[in-house]
Amino acid sequence: MTDTALALALLVLAMAVVAGALAARRARLWRAGRAARVDWLDGLAALPKRYLVDVHHVVGRDPYAARMHALAAGGLLAGSALALAGLVPLLGNARLYWWIVALAFAAALAGGFMVGRRRLPVKPARLSGGRFQRLPLLLAAYAAGGFLVALDASLGGALRPFAFVGLALAAVGGIGLARQLDRGPMRHAFAGAAHLVAHPRPDRFEGKPATALAPLDLDAPRLGVATPADFTFNRLIGFDACIQCGRCETACPAFAAGQPLNPKRLIQDLAAAIQPNATNAAYAGSPYPNARPVAGIGGPDKPLVGTGAMIHPDTLWSCTTCRACVEECPMMIEHVDAIVDLRRFQTLELGALPVKAAPPLMELRYADEPGGRPLGARTDFAAGLTLPLMAAKGEADVLLWLGEGAYELRYGRTLRALITLLQKAGVDFAVLGAEERDCGDLARRLGDEATFQRLARDNIATLARYRFSRILTADPHALHALRNEYRAFGGAYEVVHHSAFLDELVAAGRLPVGALGGARVTYHDPCYLGRYNGEVDAPRRLLDRLGLERLEMERSGRRSMCCGGGGGAPVSDIEGERRIPDIRMGQASATGAAIVAVACPQCSAMLEGVTGARPDVADIAELVLMAVEAAPAAARAETLA
Amino acid sequence: MRIAVLLSAGRHAVSGRPAPVPVELQAVGLAADFVERHGADLTGLHAGPDVGPLRDALGHGLPNLVHLVTGADDDPLPSLAAALREGAFDLILAGRVAQGGEDSGLLPYALARALGLPIVSDAAALAPGETPGTLNVEQALPRGARRRLLVRLPVLVTVHPAAPAARPFAFAGARRGILETRPGLAAPRASTGLEERPYRPRPKLIAKAAAGASAAERLKAATEAASGGGRLLVDPPPEEAAREILAYLAGIGVVAKR
Repeated sequence: MTDTALALALLVLAMAVVAGALAARRARLWRAGRAARVDWLDGLAALPKRYLVDVHHVVGRDPYAARMHALAAGGLLAGSALALAGLVPLLGNARLYWWIVALAFAAALAGGFMVGRRRLPVKPARLSGGRFQRLPLLLAAYAAGGFLVALDASLGGALRPFAFVGLALAAVGGIGLARQLDRGPMRHAFAGAAHLVAHPRPDRFEGKPATALAPLDLDAPRLGVATPADFTFNRLIGFDACIQCGRCETACPAFAAGQPLNPKRLIQDLAAAIQPNATNAAYAGSPYPNARPVAGIGGPDKPLVGTGAMIHPDTLWSCTTCRACVEECPMMIEHVDAIVDLRRFQTLELGALPVKAAPPLMELRYADEPGGRPLGARTDFAAGLTLPLMAAKGEADVLLWLGEGAYELRYGRTLRALITLLQKAGVDFAVLGAEERDCGDLARRLGDEATFQRLARDNIATLARYRFSRILTADPHALHALRNEYRAFGGAYEVVHHSAFLDELVAAGRLPVGALGGARVTYHDPCYLGRYNGEVDAPRRLLDRLGLERLEMERSGRRSMCCGGGGGAPVSDIEGERRIPDIRMGQASATGAAIVAVACPQCSAMLEGVTGARPDVADIAELVLMAVEAAPAAARAETLA
Repeated sequence: MRIAVLLSAGRHAVSGRPAPVPVELQAVGLAADFVERHGADLTGLHAGPDVGPLRDALGHGLPNLVHLVTGADDDPLPSLAAALREGAFDLILAGRVAQGGEDSGLLPYALARALGLPIVSDAAALAPGETPGTLNVEQALPRGARRRLLVRLPVLVTVHPAAPAARPFAFAGARRGILETRPGLAAPRASTGLEERPYRPRPKLIAKAAAGASAAERLKAATEAASGGGRLLVDPPPEEAAREILAYLAGIGVVAKR
């Protein structure tokens, strides 16, 4: 073993000590957070699978980044660990062993070059600068240095001068990397691992949707999150895990529309605020678009939201809760949970809602309907159709949940189509009529947990009076609330979306469909159906059965883009540069489709609101009805083509 | 300075469920803003059998609410007058009109008479006057006009819907707010013997004269009826004006014809 190799091993040891001390200092800050139930043993046991399968599944969407990370991280860890193990005389004296060490460092060097090539000469907008821009230099210096030392050792000291240069390089790079552990890019390594172990939603690694918001204890002394210390400690770990890759900001519809929200910046502001006397000055990524001025100061017990704090309220209310950021995040951070927790404090404790968001919540409190319309008028859209009432029947195979869209003229057409189809297929169904209250989705996303919980309990009490095997709904927001969020309040139902239900009916031959003459259609996935509930196949299967030529948009399936209608964004109405539905409609037009198929009242309203020449908007139920009506006389199909 | 806001048992206009009256929540908002800017004690007052969702006013910026428990058929006026006299309030705010079936908007006037206070109606904004013990009231008049009045405290002020929107509801505020229950005064009202029915909008009657006539004639009759009528006299001598008014009143049967 050469003396330089021994020095390299000691350098790695020193790096480990520095890194360990910094990590411990950072981890102590996490203790400011509230307690949470974490199954540490299960989490530790699941860590390799969560990292290698779940994280890699996300990272691998960008193959260049995946290879870059495998080489850089794998080479760095392997090279360092092997060099350290060189202190064992049996290994350290074997020249072949140092060949292997050199190979590992060569891999790390290649990874370091890939990191650099991605950022130089022009840094993509989504990547952060500052410490992040120095990362490739440090990586390359450490890896190249380690490589030279190991190569020299493998040759028995034949390259001694090079080894000295290498050692110096490795020392500069290595200590530089270790020093980045608590604030720089390297933080994601240890915080990310800790986040995977103590993840607040362990179910999402078990293939479950795990997208329901956690119920809030309304008797708690403080409702929602005002300061970093109000987050549970594992949420704080999550913010620290962020590697600022910016995938969230490219996916965020509010960011694209120029509203003052950038999920990456938000998470960085939250992570920065954990420290006492924190400022947001170190951030070097893209800002909030049209950022509203804030003081940018905080601390573990200082408020997070407000013009005198870290985050402007407009940032909070720009979110459509579409979960695109969560879906894209390779570090499995739960941005939407954080936003809703912050909103809960604003709404429940301060009553600090956007001006136009307050009246719908007021109406919900006293009329169970955000528009303040009579509950009995919900079925007005069905004038002329026979609509069986649960109150009259007592039981039915399928309970049809109409949702808020029923009050709207445009969506009433969709529901009429759905009801006509149910009648044609001979489905035994009934509606609640005037007994149906709002499902509470809007209240919950706007942070009004008290109203949501009351509506959930009232609806569960109503549903308990009737016998039915399934709930059918055309509204993915109601579907998500009824299927996933009512469970915490004692309401467990089998809830099916109309796209899946119609697909079943057509597959079973209960609805004979004719071909729609190969019209070109593109399907817009509703966030609350695709991302929240993983249902992306049934609507596509159904469209294919109708003989339509299906085209996919630039963003589709679980990675689809929001229409802008979720999370109370239409009532919060935060000003931006563009409208989200216009952007989405642009993507639809780019496919060359004549029809955008939708499956949600919000999407239908938002996309129908797009002006100018654009594809037609048609709900899946309307398309199926057209196909069913085309079945006897195939000639009618040509009108669509 | 002590401010009281009077709250009445309202009902939601559509659902018919008990609910606070929106204009009274606006009054709470005006008072809470005044307290924040200029400092004062603020209390809500309700006289009635139960407080129900009026508790929610505590979530709209009211720090505490006094509930004067009276019987369902009791007149709230004596209870309120006694409590207001005892509380020695400088400023008493009320909504323009409540939302119950018999609410006529007269209670503030009756209260002002009982307490011997001046009353200013339809306030849209409040500010302290330059000399202590006075209040600037911005009064909302029809068609968006505003009139600024300077009044000496104590005063009773009713609030107009044109006042700034009520503060959004904060659940924790309602939880924090203090509700105090006190016995009110029994004041049975003489039974009015009125029958109570839900309101039903009725179709407009087509003017009889045009019934059965052509569509154009019916339209003409309907629009003419809606546009009023009468005669316009510009700057008449007083005697002629008085004669005209009397003749008109006699014509519609309000005063007996001589």
